[in-house]
Amino acid sequence: MSAKVETLSAEELLKTKKRSQSADVWKRLKRSKTAVLGIVLIAMFLGMALFAPVIADYEGEALKLNVKERLEGPSANHIFGTDEFGRDIFARVVYGTRISLFVGIISVSIALSIGGFLGAIAGYYGGKIDNAIMRVLDVILAVPTILLAITIVASLGASMMNLMIAVGISNIPGFARIVRASVLSVKDQEFIEAAKAIGAKDHIIIMKHVLPNSMAPIIVYATLKVATAIMATASLSFIGLGVQPPTPEWGSMLAGGRAYIRDQMYIVMYPGLAIVLTVLSLNLIGDGLRDALDPKLK
Amino acid sequence: MSERVLDINDLIVQYHTDEGIVEAVNGITINLDRGRTLGLVGETGAGKTTTARSIMRLIQSPPGKMTQGSIHLNGKDIMAASEKELEKIRGAQVSMIFQDPMTALNPVITVGDQIAEAILIHQKVSQDQANVKAKEMLEMVGIPGARLNEYPHQFSGGMKQRVIIAIALSCSPQLLIADEPTTALDVTIQAQVLELMKELKDKFNMAMIMITHDLGVVAEVCDDVAIMYAGRVVEQGNLDDIFRRTKHPYTEGLFNSIPNIDDRKAELIPIKGLMSDPYNLPEGCSFCDRCNYAMSICKTKRPEKVHFSETHFVECHLYSENPEFQLKG
Repeated sequence: MSAKVETLSAEELLKTKKRSQSADVWKRLKRSKTAVLGIVLIAMFLGMALFAPVIADYEGEALKLNVKERLEGPSANHIFGTDEFGRDIFARVVYGTRISLFVGIISVSIALSIGGFLGAIAGYYGGKIDNAIMRVLDVILAVPTILLAITIVASLGASMMNLMIAVGISNIPGFARIVRASVLSVKDQEFIEAAKAIGAKDHIIIMKHVLPNSMAPIIVYATLKVATAIMATASLSFIGLGVQPPTPEWGSMLAGGRAYIRDQMYIVMYPGLAIVLTVLSLNLIGDGLRDALDPKLK
Repeated sequence: MSERVLDINDLIVQYHTDEGIVEAVNGITINLDRGRTLGLVGETGAGKTTTARSIMRLIQSPPGKMTQGSIHLNGKDIMAASEKELEKIRGAQVSMIFQDPMTALNPVITVGDQIAEAILIHQKVSQDQANVKAKEMLEMVGIPGARLNEYPHQFSGGMKQRVIIAIALSCSPQLLIADEPTTALDVTIQAQVLELMKELKDKFNMAMIMITHDLGVVAEVCDDVAIMYAGRVVEQGNLDDIFRRTKHPYTEGLFNSIPNIDDRKAELIPIKGLMSDPYNLPEGCSFCDRCNYAMSICKTKRPEKVHFSETHFVECHLYSENPEFQLKG
């Protein structure tokens, strides 16, 4: 080998930057206008959630009953108007963002970690283990997600914690399936065998070689599932099984304003709009990610 | 010098599928000393890769089963080793180079990390030390060390194969198994990669098994050659034995299917027919349906080994009947 070889000191070597895949994905994601719109919207909601105390006063505006100012339309004082107890709807929507995003992300994390673990094990080992895990999950999958969540909340009692557990558990089978499917598509590739041939242990192979290569569909699915989890949260709260009043939650705000929908439409319009926009933006991001993560579209 | 690295004795590997039993390897005996290169030659489905995988115990089970025989690596019984022991052996004592460099590297991990991974598994070093060693390995196979942090898709096919060689050699194994390492590469790169492997083999004084169906590759790098057909070694000898004193009709058929550089107008003579169905191997010699010299005994009795010299043997009835027999050429 006569090729002249550049030599680097160990120190220099460690400094050379890795050109990461996520940078590539981000570049491609930016090319999609709809995905960028989704990102802008979700960034706005995240900002609202993070800086809620700066934007609105929780005790004074979102919770305090003020009968004198009840059912007022949008004005300079209350830009979204007030509800039937005279609470500022804007403040309630802002604080509702916190709950919706929090519950959505946490419940998806629960589903992703448990479902992902089960799916990875089932897909990688196959055979009897696969059968045992997937059949149990199939049974859960036979019950409609929202019905399952209602059942779980009803038996555990209505609270935010139980709401997250319920939405999380009811999403486990979906995640297990998608992780299993992508593990199956990766595990027979030659580099997995190559990893075995250098003596790598099973858990290292799964964590380092199988999962990172099956990430794309999982990320897309998780993004879309945060949207449905937010919907499920709102739905459960709407029927009184989720976050309990007076905590400002979009679903329960809808439920409270329902009676006034003829004359004071804005009471349900703003929280409704918030739900629609969050779900829409997450779906846009999910779709954009699906395209950006597909290496064939490079 | 003659330190025995690999000892395979009468190995039988079968795949038990729903359609029946596939007899992939039927009683193979291979010995390999340190510093020697054995070429395992045969057409698709002859059991070359199955043999190689059984050495690393990488046969998918089920359906694969090693039903008989023994494999000793540096005197250690591989068949009896536990999964934990095997993990220590794989990569450290035996390494494998895979056929297709395009798929044998993990696309989401940098090549440096992939080389370092093997080192970290088998040696007690820190991540930094492993990275430095990985860089050395990369430079040894002729790739600038600065490319350590690049991903496989940034490399060409020949470069990827070099990376794979670097991974395979990173823990200086005593035995290197190369499963058709040049098949997926174009001709200009093939020669470079073979040259590199030969050089490194000598440097590390390893034993090497070169699996190929290309007799040109064999002539280039091997010391000994084993011709496999339907899961058996039908002829084995050193380069001279096989290339100049060809004995088995199948080996002759292989040579006749290669274009002749001196006589470019000569027609190729392919071996007629197809490899016999591994679900249902014939009772006698498995090559007899395609053999131009077939006799009645070939149908009913499996041929015994006939030795011509210490290194050269053949499994064929032609010679047990008449030791002076000559192939038509």
